[in-house]
Amino acid sequence: MEHRTLAGDGLPALIDELIKKGMRVIAPTQRNGDLAFGQVSSSAEAVLDYFLCKRSAKEIVFPRTEAILGFDRSGGEVKVEPPSMQFPETVVVGARPCDAASLPILDHIFTWDCDDELFTRRREATTVIGLTCTTADNFCFCTSVGLSPDNTAGSDILLTQLEDGQFFVEVVTDKGEKLAAELGELFREGGDESARQKAGEKARALVTRSVDVSKAKGWLDDHFDDEMWESWMTCLGCGACTFVCPTCHCFDIVDEVQGLSGHRCKNWDACTFWHFTVHASGHNPRDVQYKRYRQRILHKFRYYKDRFGVTLCTGCGRCSRHCPVGIDIAEVLETAAGSAAS
Amino acid sequence: MSKGLQDIARELLEKGEVQVVVGWGAVKADPDRTRPILVTDPDEVGELVWNPRCVNNLAVYLTKAKSDVQALGKAAIVAKGCDVKAITGLIQEMQFSRDDLVIIGVACKGVVSDGSLWQGELTEENRDLKCRFCDVRTPRTYDHLVGEEVPPVDAEDDWKDVRELEEKTPRERWDYWQEQFERCIRCYACRQACPFCYCTRCIADKTLPRWIESGQHPRANLAWNIIRAMHLAGRCVECGECERVCPVGIPLNLLNRELAKEVAVEYGYRAGYDSEAPPPFATYREEDDQSFIR
Amino acid sequence: MTTADSQSSEQEQRREGAVGPEGWEPKIVAFVCNWCTYAGADLAGTSRLQYQPNVRIIKLPCTGRIDPVFIVRAYEGGADGVLVSGCHPGDCHYSSGNYHARRRFALFRKLMEFVGVDLDRLQFSWVSAAEGAKWVDVINDVTNRVRALGPFTEYQALSRWWKEVPDEQAIEQRA
Ligand code: SF4
Ligand code: SF4
Ligand code: SF4
Ligand code: SF4
Ligand code: SF4
Ligand code: FES
Repeated sequence: MEHRTLAGDGLPALIDELIKKGMRVIAPTQRNGDLAFGQVSSSAEAVLDYFLCKRSAKEIVFPRTEAILGFDRSGGEVKVEPPSMQFPETVVVGARPCDAASLPILDHIFTWDCDDELFTRRREATTVIGLTCTTADNFCFCTSVGLSPDNTAGSDILLTQLEDGQFFVEVVTDKGEKLAAELGELFREGGDESARQKAGEKARALVTRSVDVSKAKGWLDDHFDDEMWESWMTCLGCGACTFVCPTCHCFDIVDEVQGLSGHRCKNWDACTFWHFTVHASGHNPRDVQYKRYRQRILHKFRYYKDRFGVTLCTGCGRCSRHCPVGIDIAEVLETAAGSAAS
Repeated sequence: MSKGLQDIARELLEKGEVQVVVGWGAVKADPDRTRPILVTDPDEVGELVWNPRCVNNLAVYLTKAKSDVQALGKAAIVAKGCDVKAITGLIQEMQFSRDDLVIIGVACKGVVSDGSLWQGELTEENRDLKCRFCDVRTPRTYDHLVGEEVPPVDAEDDWKDVRELEEKTPRERWDYWQEQFERCIRCYACRQACPFCYCTRCIADKTLPRWIESGQHPRANLAWNIIRAMHLAGRCVECGECERVCPVGIPLNLLNRELAKEVAVEYGYRAGYDSEAPPPFATYREEDDQSFIR
Repeated sequence: MTTADSQSSEQEQRREGAVGPEGWEPKIVAFVCNWCTYAGADLAGTSRLQYQPNVRIIKLPCTGRIDPVFIVRAYEGGADGVLVSGCHPGDCHYSSGNYHARRRFALFRKLMEFVGVDLDRLQFSWVSAAEGAKWVDVINDVTNRVRALGPFTEYQALSRWWKEVPDEQAIEQRA
């Protein structure tokens, strides 16, 4: 791993340089009162002294809606238009480690039984510059899922602000190396490693919540049916948790037709919705809400782990923060882990 | 406050008058927030709280959309005056009858819309919009009341928020709403949190035909947000839950209030006050305004 | 010039018919009830009355059956204007369908206005089976008003979302 220091006035200079080089830069930016990842046309638009965006960074590689093909039969014959696979070279600046880490987790599913090119091509075109956290709240539990506020997973380059205000640069991947080479002067050789360690410790100390996720998994493995699930009956069955989550990835394929033409779309979907599993007959195997919520937990902490060896959660706490009825995922896991102990 | 509430709840459960109490409890990880809880065991009434962070409108748990809660048995609900408006509306729409429910009303001076605004006390700044003109600080109907009666706020709704937008040009309004709706991720939290969105199958979930596209793009988002508002016209009690729960902060209550204002002006009706009144869209008057029809 | 000024002058320009590409013709969708307005339109036809050919008629049993979502779908499909028309009060074949519709649409048009739709694009009329001539007037007037506004570009722009990454489109719109 190469260590460098960000020169000049730090992040603004970095963003402006990337834009100058013709790259599409995505950073947290204020849009109509909502802080979200979006394209910025200058460093002035980027907000980097932030905690977390409400929505995660997954939209950059997995948009809310995209057309997988267009069709038109107005001329008699059916004409099919494939989607454009040209994705602009994109650099994400300032993703927090829990956002960055979601990308390699998602790679597993999107390359599993087939290669979802819309995802993988976007992913290839995207370089992630992560940013070590400086704040955390009580819903954060990244350290319980093997990550941390200064973790490099998913970042091609990780920046950590040191006590003296300088940014310590860790080049993590080949992609990061390539970008670093292009940026040349901006990344000065060498860096204060002990200051980096200190900043990392400080960041890790911010996360006070700790859940024994492997113990919780042990319990989840054989408690598909348990009263515990019923205690989350207050779940409303919205998609707030799944749609703000950086790792939830379900989608639905839908034809959107206007007259004789339209698009086949890949739209976000959520297991917490009633209609997610409803059959054509009207029968719904997940007939009540707690069973749908149970699916969300089991998919994340049991099935995905069994299938791919990783947990489908980065501990960002978004789902808990945005749940309209205050369901706290870490608390659910604590309860499961607690039951395993007794 | 919470103590009085807990005593009432215990008695109701112990006597078997109800099988479940729908109330608020603490969010363990965040003392500034509360959340809905369902208490079925008299020994657990200690979890019930009542304070200015109790913002959720619990009436949503009384409808057929929450069948698993209904299956618990007869319910007592802890309700602020504005929540009671929703209950009144549900009774009016024949979702249940007043006798099916025990209402533990709470006298209320207002709530904070967002726990993060809580600074230890209720202030003009952190008080929810709906509380500023509240005329139901003592609920209009209840079986038990927690706290002393509170007089209504001495101010009438001025519809200032709505009028400000009305005064803009059509193009400005269009752009304003497009900027808002563009963010909609179609999580349907607004629908799921609304006591009046109890349809077994929402029009947005219908696929044969698909009336409202499920994509999260500007065309579909506009359709969804217009139709949602329209389906609540004359029914919405302006509890603000839809807006509060929207994870991307779309001012949904502004849309609701535009319609509520028109219903008030045109038909002299405001939702949630009278369970006997005919709902404004289930009735008509021959002399209703038709100046817009040629 | 302030934004408001340029807005209103833009609108005036539109009213003079200056807006709209060469050869563009307004698309109007008319949702009409079977018993009065459709019969009225039929009478206009059998009486050989001439009117502008811009309207596509969709016949429903009663104005009471016209759901606002139909109107939204019409705009989505490219309508530049919508007309809803049925029996005069007191004449509804189902006695009160139009009274209910009247309330519903009184609200719906306010809502559409609130989200920024020019109400010349959403119009209402009562046309009886005997009013072939009124139908002609209504259609000509609705068409002229929509023609003056030009194509409903704002709504039609919403249908261009798939051309680009949604993000970028939003940015383009802001710029
Ligand atoms: S499940 Fe919750 S905590 Fe885990 S990654 Fe998703 S939003 Fe974050
Ligand atoms: S857990 Fe919360 S956010 Fe998730 S579906 Fe249930 S109510 Fe919605
Ligand atoms: S609207 Fe009235 S009853 Fe409801 S929270 Fe505010 S003050 Fe209390
Ligand atoms: S809660 Fe907000 S984001 Fe979710 S569907 Fe409703 S308006 Fe859209
Ligand atoms: S539409 Fe919103 S404000 Fe109105 S009753 Fe439903 S949740 Fe409350
Ligand atoms: S049948 Fe014409 S409006 Fe009802």
